[in-house]
This record gives sequence, structure tokens and C-alpha cells, in this order.
Amino acid sequence: MKSFWDKLGKNEYYVALFKNPLTYVGGAILLAILQIALLASTGNPWGVSGTFANWGAWIYEALGGSVDKWFYFSSEGAQNTLNNGFLNDPGTMSNLGIIFGALLSALLASQFKFKKIKAMRQVVAAVLGGLLMGYGARMAFGCNIGAFFSGIISLSLSGWVFGASLLIGAFIGGKLLTRFFMG
Amino acid sequence: MKEFTLDCMGEACPLPLMKTEKQMEKMEVGDVVIVQIDHSCAMKNVPEWARNQGYNVEIDEVDDGEWEVIIEKTK
Repeated sequence: MKSFWDKLGKNEYYVALFKNPLTYVGGAILLAILQIALLASTGNPWGVSGTFANWGAWIYEALGGSVDKWFYFSSEGAQNTLNNGFLNDPGTMSNLGIIFGALLSALLASQFKFKKIKAMRQVVAAVLGGLLMGYGARMAFGCNIGAFFSGIISLSLSGWVFGASLLIGAFIGGKLLTRFFMG
Repeated sequence: MKEFTLDCMGEACPLPLMKTEKQMEKMEVGDVVIVQIDHSCAMKNVPEWARNQGYNVEIDEVDDGEWEVIIEKTK
């Protein structure tokens, strides 16, 4: 059995398909095709972070809270999404798909690993970064997928404005990274 | 001909690349650095950067999700 896995690990088709990373162009073509499929099947352009806000609302409601009066969820569309439930939301499915797809690809490449946390600093940066990203994405009505990627392919000017702002943010982020993590 | 080890385990992109760039600056021609990484995107961008610089690069998968990128400063 072990020799079978050893042999498979060296098989050139396995290595090309599952092990080696795609080229940037290859990834871009796959993204382009898959987002068309998503738009055609769900009627909405691809988004990621909006769904997390809904997940938050569902968790809050499961704990006995209510978001009916919240301005963010006041539109009819938002209420419908929430009333349809977690499992009937296409956004939930695509986000779960990303999480389990990423897990599957790491497992298939035999690269799954629990990584150790090197420094408390990483935890603080991850939590702060996550909060800023989540808050910013909801203020901008989209993240780098919904507002940037889907914005630009919908020929919307807002996507380009978002992209320019991303560059500024990445520049500042790069400086902070050097300042706090390159000691 | 000195050999250095750069421990980038548990560090996410782009830190392994930034640290590698900094390390290469400090090294003399002929020196070798072994960059230890466990972040798959560093397995792509570190060797890519080094090859673009014209350095000799070898990647060794030492364990599941762990790599050593061996870079020789050739110029």
C-alpha cells in the first residue's frame, strides 16, 4: 500500500494537477469561467463578505437576538435572504465551497498541516486585520471579490475606485508589516 | 561559501519573501541560504523571485506542507 502512494506521489499527472500551483494566468481563466457559471446559476455576481454578515445575523438570531430593526438588514432583499435560511442562500453555499475546496486541495496535494503560532504578535495582527477587513468590506458594500472583482467585470466604475484604494491600503499595510514583523 | 538557515515556519506571505530578499542582500556571492517555509504561497513566490534574480534555486518538500527553498547567490 505504501509503495502505491509513493508511486502516486511521483506520477507526473498527479503532480501537475494537484501538487504544483497553477500559473497566475491559469488561475485567472478558471476564476473567469467559474464566476460566469455562478452568475448564470444564481443571478448574482460573486461575493464573499456580504454572506459573512448574514452568517452573523443568523448566529445572533439563533441566540435569541433579532436584526429586524437593524438598518443594514432593513432592505426587502436582505430580509428575504435571512428568512430563507442559512441552507437556502447561494452565498452560503459558495463560501462553504471555498472553505471545503481549500481543505480538499490541501489534502489532495498532501500539504495539510496545523501551523504553529509563532508569536502573540501574529494573533493580535490577525484579529485586528480581520476586524478591519470585515468592517471595511461592509462599509464599502463589498470586499476584493464583491466590490473589486465583480465590480470591474460588471463594467462598474466603483470597481476601479475600489482597486485604486486597495493599492493605497496595500502600500500602507506593507509598511506596517515591515515595521512590526521584520525586526 | 557560507550556509545560512532562515526560519520562516508559521509565517504568512509576504513575510518569507521579504525576509529572503533581506537575507540575500547580506550574503556574499557563492553563499547559500535554506529558507524553511510552511506557507504554500511562499513556495511559489520565493523561488519565483530568486529565479528572476538569476540565482540557483532548489525546492525540497521535507514534510507534508513543509518546504526548504535552497537559494545560491550566484552573482
